Amino acid sequence: MMKDISIGRYYQGNSILHRLDPRVKITLCFLYMIVIFLMTTPAGLLATFLVVAVLCVLSAIPLKTILASVRPIVFLLLFILVLNILTIRTGNPVVSWGILKITDEGILKAVLMALRLFLLIVCTSLLLTLTTTPLLMADSLESLFGPLKKIHVPVHEMSMMMSIALRFVPTLVEETDKIMKAQASRGAEYDTGNIFARAKGYVSVLVPLFVSAFKRAEELAVAMDARCYKGGEGRTKLHVLHMQGKDYFWLILLTCLAIALFFIDLLTQIR
Amino acid sequence: MADQTAVQSDSRISADVRLDSVEFSYVHPEAGTVPALSGVSLSLSRGSYSALLGRNGSGKSTMAKLIDVLEMPQVGSVYVLGFDTQDDSHFWEIRRACGMVFQNPDNQIVGTTVEEDVAFGPENLGVPTPEIRQRVDDALHYVGMYEYAHKQPSQLSGGQKQKLAIAGILAMQPQILLLDESTSMLDPLSRDEFLAVVSRLVHEKNMTVLHITHDMSEACIADHIYVLDHGKVALSGTPGEVFSQVETVRRLGLDVPVFAEIAYEVASHLGIHLEQKTLYSRTAAVNGIRMMLSGVAQGSYRDVIPEVSVPRVPVKGRTVLSVSHLSHSYEKNSEPALSDISFSVMEGEIFAVIGHSGSGKTTLITHLNGIMRPEEGEVLVYPRGASEPLNTRKNADVRKIRRVVGLLFQYPEYQLFEETVERDVAFGPTKMGLPPEEISRRVREALSLVGLDDSFLQRSPFELSGGQKRRVAFAGVLAMDPDILVLDEPAAGLDPTGRREILHYAEKLKERGKTIIIVSHNMDEAARYADRILVLKDGKAGALMTPQELFRDTAKMKELGISAPETISCLTEMKKDYPDIRTEYFRTDEAAREMIRAAGKAVPAENRVDSMHSGGCL
Repeated sequence: MMKDISIGRYYQGNSILHRLDPRVKITLCFLYMIVIFLMTTPAGLLATFLVVAVLCVLSAIPLKTILASVRPIVFLLLFILVLNILTIRTGNPVVSWGILKITDEGILKAVLMALRLFLLIVCTSLLLTLTTTPLLMADSLESLFGPLKKIHVPVHEMSMMMSIALRFVPTLVEETDKIMKAQASRGAEYDTGNIFARAKGYVSVLVPLFVSAFKRAEELAVAMDARCYKGGEGRTKLHVLHMQGKDYFWLILLTCLAIALFFIDLLTQIR
Repeated sequence: MADQTAVQSDSRISADVRLDSVEFSYVHPEAGTVPALSGVSLSLSRGSYSALLGRNGSGKSTMAKLIDVLEMPQVGSVYVLGFDTQDDSHFWEIRRACGMVFQNPDNQIVGTTVEEDVAFGPENLGVPTPEIRQRVDDALHYVGMYEYAHKQPSQLSGGQKQKLAIAGILAMQPQILLLDESTSMLDPLSRDEFLAVVSRLVHEKNMTVLHITHDMSEACIADHIYVLDHGKVALSGTPGEVFSQVETVRRLGLDVPVFAEIAYEVASHLGIHLEQKTLYSRTAAVNGIRMMLSGVAQGSYRDVIPEVSVPRVPVKGRTVLSVSHLSHSYEKNSEPALSDISFSVMEGEIFAVIGHSGSGKTTLITHLNGIMRPEEGEVLVYPRGASEPLNTRKNADVRKIRRVVGLLFQYPEYQLFEETVERDVAFGPTKMGLPPEEISRRVREALSLVGLDDSFLQRSPFELSGGQKRRVAFAGVLAMDPDILVLDEPAAGLDPTGRREILHYAEKLKERGKTIIIVSHNMDEAARYADRILVLKDGKAGALMTPQELFRDTAKMKELGISAPETISCLTEMKKDYPDIRTEYFRTDEAAREMIRAAGKAVPAENRVDSMHSGGCL
């Protein structure tokens, strides 16, 4: 159950998407999030779907892995689908049974809504989490927000914290699993028993987890000290972000596509 | 006086590290000032390899931190590369020159990929990018991890993580390497690999190494050993010098290596005083034993020849747990973690499960109390007095099984969560729905079984020492009064005294009629304590036999990739001279007496004296 969490689950590869400058990916990700939110027509969403499908192919990541990133929100998707189908009452009725009334418009809107959410998740996973290592992501955020340093925003510290947090996600997931098994051996209950027993069960996992996380933080701080960490000042980088020709090319191409998608949606709307 | 200063300034030039009557104390919110080091002086010369031994809490880590300027001495001074650590102007220089590998591999990796982690140090130093690239690649090549450059830390084994830590330090081009119990969480194979890298650094790069360890055979690799006790250097010298003082070493809560112990036992039985040279290395010790035994064979010690009992026979009793055809795969189509494992455990025996990391040990034991359910095969538990066995496949049985089979995972300290020791230990019994008086009785009994008195009841488990936490966690399982106790590496990471204590409790529980299943990668311990041993290899049962049978079968051991306990290899060595020796003893005193017994029976041969002097047994 704990293994489903896909945050920080970088998929190793060497595709165009993997090699693209992470700042380009972050910018594009924002752009496409906006575009996907603005989409209202089937044609627009279908076109976006096609673009995302092409990105999938470009990433060279198995479809199964990509779809796995949607798994945590499957229930949310279904909920949205059902709720919309049941509550939208405009349009031609397809099924009418007592107070239950399902219309064609309801179905369409529900499907569009679900599709939009689906595309949103797939798009961010593809552009960011699956193809960009967390550290690179933190680096590029530091670079993108770099100008804020002038007004004393601790950009380096924030990006460092972010990358460490991401680095420790798998470790803590593993640890949670281990503690849950140990406490279950002592009779702790997580999904059986009454609400108090369950609460106690979770306390017996959370307390050790926090204690250990603090201990890890302390030890990591010493280890970073020992490796001469002294903040962002005068620090160099192994991976310096350099915008290359291909980065500009993809940035421009995908931006144009986004604008095109927006117009497709707009035109089909007017019609 | 003049001479002394001359020597001092001399050593300042040649010594990479020098501590001058250093004192250091920690300020604890409740306990007040706790002294860690009280007057330590020593110096480490360039290219030397020193081991630092001592019980937990004897001040070892503090010393490493003082050298790496992570702490400052309160009295006295520390010089690194000739610079005083209290002199701010050389702060970064010193810190760059010192590399430190810590105990827990997970808590020192900053980068999200291997190469990003190695780059962390040079990045901090402001090294230009192309040079960082070069240093990262060189460092990874050096420790043999280049192919892993793009892997995530969570995909690495413990041993690989520690090699990564070394690479991260190498990339900073240090002169001094500080290893703070870096090997204590590794299995024997990765430990050997790690140590091979370290000794290459000493020989090829002339690095100065200070290695903090609890493992006496590791300490033997060093040129020099320092033993810390209560913040003072209690013993120092070459491994031979230190380990020939067996009694002092034991009094300081440490062990001597097994070969030295056997030599010592033989000598003390014969009333011989051993010379320091004798215990310098394994070869020397074996030669020493050979020399002493030849004296016995020539009839010099007729009156002290002991009687030695035949090796113990395994327990024959009721079956309390049986596993049949158990298989498990974590992912479809992948190599199975367990395949077709069958065995049964008898009441009252100590049953050891041994195997390298990744051989499926943990997966196997998690099946024993129904935390994992069998994919294929069956796990049956036979509680005392019950007619029907319990099956881990049945939901209704699993709750009962958890009371019969107590499972203590590796490093169980993390499972402590209550405000007081009493409440923590009571967690299991409370969950069983026992009456309060019974719970309170069990808590006290369980704590006393692991050597903790009532004064611990109201203390917070989080303020205890590592060894005490381990014992409280142990008590937490004991308080459920299980028939069968499953212990996963119960002594991992403890100092020798702590190890002995934990294993002693396991033996005491056996005497009380409990059945113990113990997972271990320490062959000597498994052989010494277990009645039967199950060897796992790549998820398959490689062998299930008594220690005597297993360690007699050289072909089998080779096939399974396990090494014989030291006592056995010493006995086998001696058997060449005295064919009457039975090689089935795992305790050093028994082994020593067996050798003397067999030598005493031997008829002195004409050429015996010559073969003894030819030496060289390996």
